Amino acid sequence: MQWEKLGKLFDPTQHAIADGCSLFAKAPQAIVLHDRVRIFYSAQKKTENGKYLSCPQYVDFTKSFDKILGLSQRQVIALGALGAFDEHGIFPMNVLRYEDKVLAYTSGWSRRVAVSIDMSIGFASSDNDGESFVKYGDGGPIMSASHNEPFLVGDPFVQYLNGQFHMWYIFGTSWNRFSGVGEPERCYKIAHAVSNDGIQWERNGRAIISDRLAEECQALPTILFKDGRFHMYFCYRGSHDFRTNTLNAYRLGYAFSDDMCNWNRDDSQAGLDVSPNAWDSDMLCYPHLFECDDAVYLLYNGNDFGKYGFGIARLISTEP
Amino acid sequence: MRAQWKKLGQVFDPAHHPNCPDWMVDFAQAPNVIVFDDYVRVFFCCRPAPDANRQFVSRFAYVDLDRVDLFRIIKIADRPLLPLGDLGTFDEFGTYPVSVCRDGSDLIAIYGGWTRCESVPFNISLGLARSTDDGNSFTKYGPGPVLSHSADEPFTITSPKIRRYGDIWYLAYTAGRRWIRCPDGRAEIIYKLRIATSPDLVNWTRLNRDLIVSKLGDDEAQACPDILFANGKYHMFYCYRHGLDFRTSKDKSYRIGYASSLDLIHWERDDARINLNPSETGWDSEMVAYPTVFELDGHTYMLYAGNGVGKTGFGIAVLEGGLV
Repeated sequence: MQWEKLGKLFDPTQHAIADGCSLFAKAPQAIVLHDRVRIFYSAQKKTENGKYLSCPQYVDFTKSFDKILGLSQRQVIALGALGAFDEHGIFPMNVLRYEDKVLAYTSGWSRRVAVSIDMSIGFASSDNDGESFVKYGDGGPIMSASHNEPFLVGDPFVQYLNGQFHMWYIFGTSWNRFSGVGEPERCYKIAHAVSNDGIQWERNGRAIISDRLAEECQALPTILFKDGRFHMYFCYRGSHDFRTNTLNAYRLGYAFSDDMCNWNRDDSQAGLDVSPNAWDSDMLCYPHLFECDDAVYLLYNGNDFGKYGFGIARLISTEP
Repeated sequence: MRAQWKKLGQVFDPAHHPNCPDWMVDFAQAPNVIVFDDYVRVFFCCRPAPDANRQFVSRFAYVDLDRVDLFRIIKIADRPLLPLGDLGTFDEFGTYPVSVCRDGSDLIAIYGGWTRCESVPFNISLGLARSTDDGNSFTKYGPGPVLSHSADEPFTITSPKIRRYGDIWYLAYTAGRRWIRCPDGRAEIIYKLRIATSPDLVNWTRLNRDLIVSKLGDDEAQACPDILFANGKYHMFYCYRHGLDFRTSKDKSYRIGYASSLDLIHWERDDARINLNPSETGWDSEMVAYPTVFELDGHTYMLYAGNGVGKTGFGIAVLEGGLV
């Protein structure tokens, strides 16, 4: 895969973001409308106890990405009520156009005591191109911990392919204590689920991407079919000392498949790595593939998990 | 005709029993019964002493009662029947309540797993475990739950009662409807009776609606839907309470209710048909809760929890006349 980095696209600290969400623009994900590209992301605001809440917002760009056309006037989906799975944030939020709606698969965050958080996946839809979303049912999750996926079910990426909904997502495999680290750190892997209606999902608790590191964490898969095969990008990191040590921090991984089920991991083909002395010099994370006007793009975050925004790259070729 | 329940007295209270292990300091909550040839095995949940932060965990245990003298305890489980979950899992801080049912020569258990949360005190999901040694030990089906919060049931899923009728497993349980922040800062959960069915105990189809009307209004909390089939219909005994102030006010704490059904789906609530109320004094003077009803040697009995939702253990009542 050959990419051209187009640079940082959006820095939230340079704009007045609704609801006081001026920190971070994480996990950018795009839908293409007739005159613009609407990029959703999880903005963050600091709350009274010093912790952050992730609140989905969007920013509109021209299709050539040379100009911002507008910002969301409020967060596009509400956080959950007291005790709900998404009370403490929605991050990431996956969006896709389906029929005349925009569907959203949300990663809801709920704070725990023994460990920092749990995640489950929610579902919502929009009739107004993503200006606002209504949660499905009574607002609880459509996919949560199960007997063989015991916690941290999140990071959904959904596509409607060949008459069926497919979801790639992550589930937690362990919480670990490391010496010298106060809080337990989580480990999670990428898995695949299928559905006929986008709401009831079949899954099997099987990790589909081979590990490259010991105790590797794999996150936020994104998939695109191009030139005869399926291409997956995701991010991966070590299990601890990954926040400030660039050697353990997130990088982009790559895998390809002919059938969406069996994946061959080959990060050497990813074609995207950190750039020296740049906004993405220490970390690459939260990739999102999409097509616009016959070009393939990749949105992603750089240093500090997206504290200073996200960037974009354009695919030159699927050849190595 | 009103069913007449006659209290026979308190059966078991770990705090006042001489031979209880240190993980069974007090509480004997949510009793369930499996009848063996010579004894009646009563599964329940108990607690060790609280930790330094006054937080409890709940453990799963049994006592064996002499079949011909249900007040004679002949054995107490010598270790907890289920391990607590690993760091970050749904059952890290307790296994309560637990419902046990025969499955051929095995016993299966559906149990509430407890995790601790930041904004509310806990969340609960249901796990599955199996015993091949008459309930002396159980093995979990997996590290995670088989029934957890869902789109239509967004909060705690707990108070399981598992039954098998024909080839179908029926799981009656409670689903949290909302959390309420009390003036003192504590959050309390309002939950209602629900039911789900499964061919295999793992994949569940939920009815997604309340089984009975709420007579104390929207804030009535309902739990422990214990079902018994007798004389051509399904009888359900459960407990209910007010949503708030139930910890301090006798009038707002748990009472036992009754409903009946011909199909396990449509239930008619008729609490007037049960007359088991708190006593004037003693171990069940503030509340009666967590009933389980079973038939034994020509009689119909109920085990139930008393004050503190089982802090004082459980007692027994006998039905005079049959279930009609």
